[in-house]
Formats: sequence, C-alpha cells, structure tokens
Amino acid sequence: MILSEDKTMSEHNHHEHHVSSVGQLWAIGIALTLLTILTVGLSHVEIPAPFDVVVALTVAFVKAFLVCAFFMNLYWDTKFNSMLLIGAFAFFILMVAVTLLDTLYRNDVVPSF
Amino acid sequence: MSNHSQAHPAHLQHHFVDSDQQFDAAKMGMWVFIVNEILFFGGLFCAYIVFRAWYPDLFTMAATKLDTTMGAINTVVLIGSSLSVAMAIRAAQLNKTKWIKINLLITITLACVFLVIKYFEYSHKMHDGIFPGATLYTYEGIDHPLAHVFFSIYYVMTGIHAIHIIVGIGLMIWIYIRAKRNEFGSEYYTPVEMVGLYWHLVDVIWIFLFPLLYLIE
Repeated sequence: MILSEDKTMSEHNHHEHHVSSVGQLWAIGIALTLLTILTVGLSHVEIPAPFDVVVALTVAFVKAFLVCAFFMNLYWDTKFNSMLLIGAFAFFILMVAVTLLDTLYRNDVVPSF
Repeated sequence: MSNHSQAHPAHLQHHFVDSDQQFDAAKMGMWVFIVNEILFFGGLFCAYIVFRAWYPDLFTMAATKLDTTMGAINTVVLIGSSLSVAMAIRAAQLNKTKWIKINLLITITLACVFLVIKYFEYSHKMHDGIFPGATLYTYEGIDHPLAHVFFSIYYVMTGIHAIHIIVGIGLMIWIYIRAKRNEFGSEYYTPVEMVGLYWHLVDVIWIFLFPLLYLIE
C-alpha cells in the first residue's frame, strides 16, 4: 500500500526537485523567530503546573514541524521519509512510556540518585 | 522515468539506475541516520523526563541559573543558520555556485557564534563551581541536595548538541571546498542537501532543548 502510494508521489516529484522560493524560506525563518519570542514571553506568564510544559512543548512541536516540513522539505518529499520520522518519534514515546512505568511506580527512588 | 540522454554523468555511481534514484537513495539513507540521531538524543530526553518527574522542584530551582537571554539568542542564531543552509541548497538547485559559498559561509559564521555564546555560558557556570557530576559540583546557591543532577543533564545534553554543531561546521567546510571546485549544480547537489538535513536536525534538537532547559519557571 505504502509503496504504491510512494511510487505515485515520487513519480510526481522525480524530474523536478522542489525549489523553495526566497520568500517562502524567509517566511519560515521569521515564523520560527516569532514563535521563539512567543515561547519566551509565555514562560513569564504564570501557567499552572503541568500546562506550562504543555504550552512550551506545543510551541516547540509547531517549530519542529515547520523545520521538518519546509526546511527539510518533507512536505514535498516521498511519504516514506515522513514515515521514518514519525516512526522514530513513536518509538521514542514508547521508550519513555515503558521507562516511566518503572520509575514512576517505585516505592523508593534509587538512594544514590 | 529515467532520462537516457544523460546516461553517465560523472557523479552517478554505477550501481544506480539514474541520478534521481541515487538522490532518493541517499536521502532515504540520511533520514535513517536522522532516525538514529532522534533515538540517540531520545535516550537523553528520557533521562530528563525521568528526573524531572522525580524532582520537579529541582528543575524549577536549578533552571534559574541558566541565562534565558543567551539561550534565546542562540535559538535565533540557529534558526538563522537553518535559513542560510536552506538558501545554500536553493542556490545549488539554481546553479548559483557563488551563492552556495556565501550562504555556507553565513551558516558557518552563525554556527561559530552559537559556540562562542555557549562557551560564555559554560565558563560563567564553571566559574561559579557548577560542573557536571556530584564530586566536581561545588556551587552552593541552589538549595537542593541533588542540584548537580540537573546540571549533569544540562551539560551532557547541550554538550552533545555542541559536538553536533562542531561536526556540522566541519561538514560545511567540506561542502564549501567542493562548491569552490564547482562540483555542485542543479544536476548534482546531493551532499549539500544531506548536510542541510543534518544541520536542520541539529536545529530541531535545540528547539526542544531550549524550552525544556531554559524556560522552566
């Protein structure tokens, strides 16, 4: 399934690689800078405990998406490369989740740590 | 699909059907490497998450010792360098060798600016006795018995990131030399694209390091 979709995508892309316009690249750069200012500004706002991290990470994910999609060209690339990235992230979440199943439910944290 | 009129360009390895296949194979290989890098840094982020879940107070207290302004400037510096490296790829696609070189020089300069700022941050902390590890750590300003744990995480994560910056500078010097020899153009710019992907990855990692280390209130 994925391979056949992949093929039509790459068929479409093959002869001409996507060339980003100068305006497009600057727009992404400026958006990333504004989001950086936003996240620094938001860090000065009092947001109750778990949500401050949620907000900071949301902004970080938006920035990472912009870089991956438009600087790393995943938006115009074969879906297979996006799948590799999403797969890596899924396995990272799995690693964290399984680790937390241990560390969050210990009666005593290892004393020397 | 393949264009037989340009059957054997100099850059085409004999085991590939055509330039497109070679480019796509190289790019997929680079993405597999990026997967590996994400999981490599993922282990460090995992350590961060475990310790932050155990000692949330430690992180809010210790993070005040990090200079948010310097961290924010470095974030913008890296965004600028990502922009210039994307411009270098665009220049290669449009056969503008001069602009490949100019944009690579801008990227290398910004990467060096990043390292200089990082050096000032590190030296300022070390001056105060903030070193990684319980035995070296002598700073008394943070009222938490495990303050050194936060800074061990900080030094290892930002240190390994900085090593990636240094490697990136080396790669861009290599690309610059090859661009100077006129090796890149719209027909073949694979190494420029791959170094660009690597550099954007380094930027993405910093995008997560910055709020998680510096912006904890």
